Amino acid sequence: MSKKQQYCLGLRTGLPVILGFVPVGIAYAIMAGQAGLTVAETIQMSVFVFAGASQMMAVGMLAQGAGVVAILLATFILNLRHLIMSTCAVNRMKRTTTGFRLLAMFGVTDESFAIYTTMEEENCSVWFFLGLITVTYSSWVAGTTIGAFASGILPQLVTDSLGIALYAMFIALLIPNVKHNFRLGLLVVMTALVNMGLQQVMASSWALIVATLVCAALGAFLVDEKAEEAKQ
Amino acid sequence: MNTNMIFLILGMALVTYIPRALPAVIIDKMKFSPKVEKFLSLIPYTAMAALIFPGVLTVDANLWYIGVIGGIVAILLSLIKKMPVAAVVVVSVVADMLLYTVI
Repeated sequence: MSKKQQYCLGLRTGLPVILGFVPVGIAYAIMAGQAGLTVAETIQMSVFVFAGASQMMAVGMLAQGAGVVAILLATFILNLRHLIMSTCAVNRMKRTTTGFRLLAMFGVTDESFAIYTTMEEENCSVWFFLGLITVTYSSWVAGTTIGAFASGILPQLVTDSLGIALYAMFIALLIPNVKHNFRLGLLVVMTALVNMGLQQVMASSWALIVATLVCAALGAFLVDEKAEEAKQ
Repeated sequence: MNTNMIFLILGMALVTYIPRALPAVIIDKMKFSPKVEKFLSLIPYTAMAALIFPGVLTVDANLWYIGVIGGIVAILLSLIKKMPVAAVVVVSVVADMLLYTVI
């Protein structure tokens, strides 16, 4: 495949994310407005930061009167998971320059990571990733802009129902990979339970990181090579 | 625009970009053993499991079954061979929409 074809495949593969990112972008913009951010500040944060959960947390903290340093620290902790995701993504991104990698990694989110790392290895070029994040980034900024100017654009029923969109996407990416591999399926269920358990004793951002790393490490000893075959 | 806000947005941009960019710079200097490669290849699955659960239970903060029903619909559809991800997402959303209209 040519670079252009890879880029276009990335664009197409990213389309389901629009359903998740636009409504979440709108929700973030509404929260930001309520916290006292101007329209410009609300959009700038999405343009420069591009991290939904962090942005929501930041404007939530601002509304409660938190200081800049506290917000930055919380953002950093919440985004440490990107360090793991970026390592996995970049490890699959062979044959490219550091410059392109630095550009591409700006777009690492839970969603782009999930799509990219479950693709067949031969599709995993930097161009595919750039196509993918073109869609995710523009839908995030578009959602924010819509929400900043017209908060009531989507009926309540639609906004509520779209809450499932990103979860459904994660499930759709996960299931085809685990259904032919019992041990991998077991590992996935175990991770979910470990994550829930850890959330009782630590912040959920830490629980996610610990559960992901510990269970992947355990899995490295328990799951056999069929994990690779199952990726069709 | 107040300076505090500029500082916050740029600061957040920085602390978000650093963890994303670091691996891009150092990956060439790292050589992973097969065991570590194995570990890295499993992270997508464990990370996604942790992203889905228990978060899916709080899709609607007041009605836990909205996430559960939507999730079950997504699982059932995903079990069908060659089902496009977009279709799974759209049908799950529609299922929740129907659920909201009947309750």
